[in-house]
Amino acid sequence: MPLSHELENRIRAEFPKYPEKRAVLLTALHFVQEEQGGWVAPDCILAIAGLLEIDPIDVKEVVSFYHMFHDHAVGQSHLQVCTNLSCSMRGARGLVRGLEEILGVRPGEMTPGGEFSVEEVQCLGSCGSAPVVQVNNEPFLENVALADLKSLVAGLQTRRRAAVGE
Amino acid sequence: MTEANGSTAKNPKVRVVIDGREIEATAGAPLLEAALDNGIEIPHYCYHPKLSIDGSCRMCQVQIQGQKKLAIACNTPCTEGLVVDTRSDEVADARRGVMELLLVNHPLDCPICDQAGECYLQDYSFEHGSHHARTTAPRRKGLKRVPIGPRVVFDQERCILCRRCVRFTNEISETNELRVFGIGDTSYIGTLEGRPLDNPYSVNVADVCPVGALLSSDFHHKRRVWFLEETESVCPGCSNGCNIKIGAFREEIQRLVPRRNDAVNETWMCDAGRLGYGFVGAADRIREARVCDDQGQQVVALDAAITAAAAALRRVREEHGAGAIGIVASGHLTNEEYFRLAGLARETLTTVSVDLAVPLGEGDDFLIRADKAANARGAREMGLVPGEAGRDLAGILNAVEAGEIRLLWIIGSKDFEAVVGTERALAIAGRLETLILQDVQPSGLSDKATIQLPGATWAEKAGTFTNYVGRVQRIRPAVHSPEGVLLDGEIFAALTGALSGRAAVPFVPSSVFDEIAAAVGAYAGLAHQSLGGAGTNPADVTEGVG
Ligand code: SF4
Ligand code: SF4
Ligand code: FES
Ligand code: FES
Repeated sequence: MPLSHELENRIRAEFPKYPEKRAVLLTALHFVQEEQGGWVAPDCILAIAGLLEIDPIDVKEVVSFYHMFHDHAVGQSHLQVCTNLSCSMRGARGLVRGLEEILGVRPGEMTPGGEFSVEEVQCLGSCGSAPVVQVNNEPFLENVALADLKSLVAGLQTRRRAAVGE
Repeated sequence: MTEANGSTAKNPKVRVVIDGREIEATAGAPLLEAALDNGIEIPHYCYHPKLSIDGSCRMCQVQIQGQKKLAIACNTPCTEGLVVDTRSDEVADARRGVMELLLVNHPLDCPICDQAGECYLQDYSFEHGSHHARTTAPRRKGLKRVPIGPRVVFDQERCILCRRCVRFTNEISETNELRVFGIGDTSYIGTLEGRPLDNPYSVNVADVCPVGALLSSDFHHKRRVWFLEETESVCPGCSNGCNIKIGAFREEIQRLVPRRNDAVNETWMCDAGRLGYGFVGAADRIREARVCDDQGQQVVALDAAITAAAAALRRVREEHGAGAIGIVASGHLTNEEYFRLAGLARETLTTVSVDLAVPLGEGDDFLIRADKAANARGAREMGLVPGEAGRDLAGILNAVEAGEIRLLWIIGSKDFEAVVGTERALAIAGRLETLILQDVQPSGLSDKATIQLPGATWAEKAGTFTNYVGRVQRIRPAVHSPEGVLLDGEIFAALTGALSGRAAVPFVPSSVFDEIAAAVGAYAGLAHQSLGGAGTNPADVTEGVG
């Protein structure tokens, strides 16, 4: 049972809001990702498709298209660096390399303990404040400089420790 | 003579001017289609005549009078008075730009790519690209040579994301295995975990893929395409009669690919038909004639076996009458061969116990027919039916078991065995005085034959097949038969000569066809030469005449 009863019911409760069940897909993906460890596993894809009565490949297509959904496990702090045009022109490639050095992981990879992962993403829609980094679904970090990265990572680590009460 | 666009045929005609040339087009039809139908080449990747419009590759951009920006010809409907320029500098620039972007990440591994020689990317790069690269950035890496399904190999680096394969699995096979995943420059073609590209038509994606990203596993790294000799023919796999090209290299079939015929198979064929040619060059193919003596089967020259067959037929007929002879044929011979066989049976042997054995398999509502022989309809129309008071297959089997039929001549014993069942087929063989087998492939009956005559395959023959709706289509020889093997029609001609005591009439398929047209009502008015590449349905001809 990839989806709990509660989760299924939460998704079903959305159906009346739309003319078609398939329209609930994005909402359902958000719910699933929230409650199932931050990513949408293959069996969750099948379960969602079953609920919405669509082909599972439609679900996978959507998961893979949007950067806020993940078809593989990501770190607790998922660092998304925009490497589209404006951000690349303003040093985004350097940020990716910088994170690689600090965290020891390349885009698409996760640190051994699962604390961090890094990903290059398409335009985040904030080109005026390029380069832009986004951690999970939090507000954008704008005009990020190479020098900011160390304190950014340290801040996230402190926050994480506080959260688990270390 | 194009029969395409039956669906838009009712729409009014409009006049379109392309590069100063006025052409007639169907209103609303894609401009690209109208251009191509009139021999005006506009380069394109994502457009395919049998798939929905995608508009994703931008290669087909043209200049349309009165419009500021270039437009894609695949998504521009033909309207009255449209004036189009496909040769302006701006168009050439746009094409060069598209080519440059497509090649930025292309691996350029043409030397080991099966598509090389029939690759749109190669051809257009030469014709429309710029001949040097401006980028030195490392190329994107991707999956190489991975099976994306049991019969198709995928090379992600070569994909140009035209989505033809996606549309094929969505619109034609309706199996939905392929999709574009990801976004932007990280997009890629993929399948769902546990659901590989596996449907009865899967290898068509290798044909629609304009580059070497999707390839037939069967043809993978087998032969450079420019060494293939291609022969227009018809698939022998079932009674649909899909039009094909047989690609051969040094007398060996390398691949079959579909050939467009909108009245039969559009541009598709099924995997079973495409990959079913192996029997032609199989190691266990029957290449030798054999005759049984006291010591068992002995290999003999074919003419000795034919003489022995004629003698056996004559003896049984003289001693027990024509009713003691039964003939069962497969549905794999040509009309011309069946016509000769029917003549031999009716006139020379005067036997009326003649029928076909055609195995039934799975069929669908697209191309695949349940009867797994190309020409059963033709066989019947040529007279391969039980004569008046004659026995059909069931009757023949019963008569053998009752000892009334003493000689059975089976052409295609593998199909006979499939239809009758091995056990009963063997029991039947045990009851006979003489069992003549005329075979390409061995069967459970092979070592029971009194006389074995090696047959020829469709790939070695000229002639016609009649598909399940009655369309008469030509097949052409792509390879030669093995040394010492005659075409089945030549065997019938030799037997007719031997039995009638007259000189054998040479078997010339085109003149036999003319005899058929004169003798068989349904074929009246057909001429061998006029069948052309696409075949003819006699019903249409008659309608046209009437
Ligand atoms: S695999 Fe071939 S057909 Fe499919 S999108 Fe890529 S280039 Fe087009
Ligand atoms: S549908 Fe029949 S004729 Fe067509 S390719 Fe398949 S086997 Fe051959
Ligand atoms: S390019 Fe980075 S936010 Fe638009
Ligand atoms: S063929 Fe027109 S956009 Fe691809």
